[in-house]
Amino acid sequence: LAATPDISSDRLHIGDLAPGLGGLARIVGVAGLLAALLLSFKTGQESFFRGYLTGFLFWLSIALGAFFFVIVQHATKAGWSVTVRRIAENFSMGFGWLAVLALVIVLPMVFGFDAMHLLFPWTQPELVDETSSHYDAIIHGKSGYLNVPFFVIRMVAYFAVWIWLSNFFYNRSTRQDQSGDPKLTLEMQARSYPAIVLYAFTQTFLAFDLLMSLAPHWYSTMFGVYYFAGSTVGFFAVLAITMYWLQSAGRVERSITNEHYHDVGKWIFAFVVFWAYIAFSQYMLIWYANLPEETSYYIIRQQGPWLNLSLVLLFGHFFIPFLGLISRIPKRGRQTLLIGAVWVVVMHWCDVLWLVQPHVADHTSLVPAPFGLLDLLQALLCTAGVGGIYLWAVLRHTGAHALVAQRDPRLAESLAFENF
Amino acid sequence: MEPHATPQDETGVLRGYIAEFETPGQLIDAAREVREAGYARWDSHSPFPVHGIDSAMGIRMTILPWIVMAAGVTGCLTGLGLQWYANAVDSEAIGFIPTFLQGYNYLVSGKPYFSLPANIPVIFELTILFSALAAVFGMLVLNNLPWLYNPVFNSERFRRVTEDRFFISIDGRDPKFDASGTETFLASLGGLGVEGVIEFPSPAQPPLILRRVGLLATLVLLIPPAFIYKAWFAKTDKPRIHIVQDMDNQEKFRAQHATALFADHRAMRPPIDGTVARGEMNDDPHYNTGIVDNAFAPAMPLHKITVDAKLLQRGRERFNIYCAPCHGRTADGQGTVNIRGTQRGGGWVAPANLHDDQYRARPVGHIFNTISEGIRTMPPYGDIIPTEDRWAIVAYVRALQRSHYSTIDDVRPELRNSLRELTPLQPAEQE
Repeated sequence: LAATPDISSDRLHIGDLAPGLGGLARIVGVAGLLAALLLSFKTGQESFFRGYLTGFLFWLSIALGAFFFVIVQHATKAGWSVTVRRIAENFSMGFGWLAVLALVIVLPMVFGFDAMHLLFPWTQPELVDETSSHYDAIIHGKSGYLNVPFFVIRMVAYFAVWIWLSNFFYNRSTRQDQSGDPKLTLEMQARSYPAIVLYAFTQTFLAFDLLMSLAPHWYSTMFGVYYFAGSTVGFFAVLAITMYWLQSAGRVERSITNEHYHDVGKWIFAFVVFWAYIAFSQYMLIWYANLPEETSYYIIRQQGPWLNLSLVLLFGHFFIPFLGLISRIPKRGRQTLLIGAVWVVVMHWCDVLWLVQPHVADHTSLVPAPFGLLDLLQALLCTAGVGGIYLWAVLRHTGAHALVAQRDPRLAESLAFENF
Repeated sequence: MEPHATPQDETGVLRGYIAEFETPGQLIDAAREVREAGYARWDSHSPFPVHGIDSAMGIRMTILPWIVMAAGVTGCLTGLGLQWYANAVDSEAIGFIPTFLQGYNYLVSGKPYFSLPANIPVIFELTILFSALAAVFGMLVLNNLPWLYNPVFNSERFRRVTEDRFFISIDGRDPKFDASGTETFLASLGGLGVEGVIEFPSPAQPPLILRRVGLLATLVLLIPPAFIYKAWFAKTDKPRIHIVQDMDNQEKFRAQHATALFADHRAMRPPIDGTVARGEMNDDPHYNTGIVDNAFAPAMPLHKITVDAKLLQRGRERFNIYCAPCHGRTADGQGTVNIRGTQRGGGWVAPANLHDDQYRARPVGHIFNTISEGIRTMPPYGDIIPTEDRWAIVAYVRALQRSHYSTIDDVRPELRNSLRELTPLQPAEQE
């Protein structure tokens, strides 16, 4: 039997790394958003909001993936993950600032900005006006769900649920650092099951509201699962990168072992396959039935630059990580897993870009609106901006407590854990 | 199970030694020493998988993943090749293959014969199937399983290996094996004890009762194939045995067959005298036939229907479905069927142009009656279009006739000027 690592000499606090990095993240965040705003004078409001939505949904997916990881570990009474669970808890604590950042989408919609009418066509009042020449019976039929007041109510509800639940698990987990009370573990376990149900509904409808309603004629009942699959892939890759970064900064060097890298690698691999499975299932059913109202979504993504991006996703988001991570050797090697994780995060960002950006200028047309390098720059600046503020919020929580749930009753199990 | 005989009771052959240990840690230490001593044919036994035993025993990484990978790739290519061959290969191009081995070239929903999206589910399933079977059977083969007998089972002590004890066994066929030396070596490892593995000579034949039951079972198993063999060649005038009955043979009425159930031998029962089907109480000649006092009604049956925009809309919709194919959407007799029929010639009876004076002069009851009963090659629509819809069509035909002869005086004065600026529509573009 291998000896259980002795972590008494491990540096379990991030210490002075957090404030400095947090300040840097905040500067990057504010500067990125300001630069994106300045660029919008050249590219126009619509490009700004699409770029902003790309960045926002990318970082929101990381937070959602992190929160999913936390509740699933409690629901399954997982022992192996105790030493990495706190990292996920910290990433799930960004929902508060993400809610503030969501106002950049919600408020312009409430005030009826023209760009929002272009982004979310269902917000145009003339489409649901039966006397208008632009009357659209399909959108009118969906207006019971797709209307601005209900949209705002739903957004408030989603973030309220996420902030409440992530705080619930974070507070109990960090309280256990002091008390070591095993009852807290049982309490979190009992609450994790209803939390999963709430998570499934809010996550699914968020994907419907912010992503699927960009093309309001189109629908896919499995769309929420698609966004979920991407968000888990993205988060596990971010988790692996964070583990590597913390250890290279001299933190938690013995708490996190090769076994944990191996398991996080398995999660990345599994959800890369799951993402491909969901993406292909959605694609094949639509391809096979060949119904005009369903194929429109893919037709615009099979033209111009979007065809190239679709192929990048097919190979980069599935075949390359699938073949690269199928063996245990790259999953157990820290550098190899880091390379894989960085690759997967970039691909996940491309996936969000692929979901948000391709659109038609006129919703009866099937030719995608042009997408230039400035639009790509806009999306990158917004991703940096939202990411800076989100990571600043995450780092504040990371600095407040230990990096490992140090008195979790399953800590010893996690340290002794070995893959066969 | 009765206790096994101990080595002292009978003369057996020494097949090796087992050493017993109390903890997995001792097992790992002992395994390391056995490996370092240079033994090759030996094994460890434990109630559960022990971490670190692989490296202690010097077991190399299994090649099973490579077998599974190879099987998976084979399955993938099999799925791809199967679908390509069965559905996409032009059978004439491979004419040297017998017909019953050629593919089908089914065209499904206008998809290409060979299209990857449709093939991926089968490729995926075969990849998984081949990989899973290779994993299970490869594991069995690599572990020499199933391995029903091992001389260590003769040891009473060894039974605790499924509960709480750990063992190392060294096979007597090991080149380094030496009866006394190996025993001393194992004892030096510090376990709970060492024991010889004794194999007792087994009888050359199975017991008599087993042989008899086996013979009997073989004979019984031969009976069904014998019957099948006989049936293959025998001739009979009896109907074939119908094993799965489902509902093939049951009492039922058959069309055009007599039945004994009723005195008149009719299976279908005629309605009772005086029966009126729902909605067929045709007691209003004007409404139902368009005839009043033996003459075609000059007026619509306004006591039953209201002529308004809604009725005209309905009439237009029905007219465009039932009448327009022949009469044309403007009722000028130039429907698509007529165009085609005229092209083909051959005694084609053209449908009426309803704007001719004789049809304009006809009373509405006459038009209604023609729709209901048909005329010349026009079939009757009385049983296809409900009565009210037929009147709606009549009203719409009247509207078409009226509009065909409309003048500028029919247009509201304030719209007349704008109307003059419009270019006239071609008939085909009209609604």
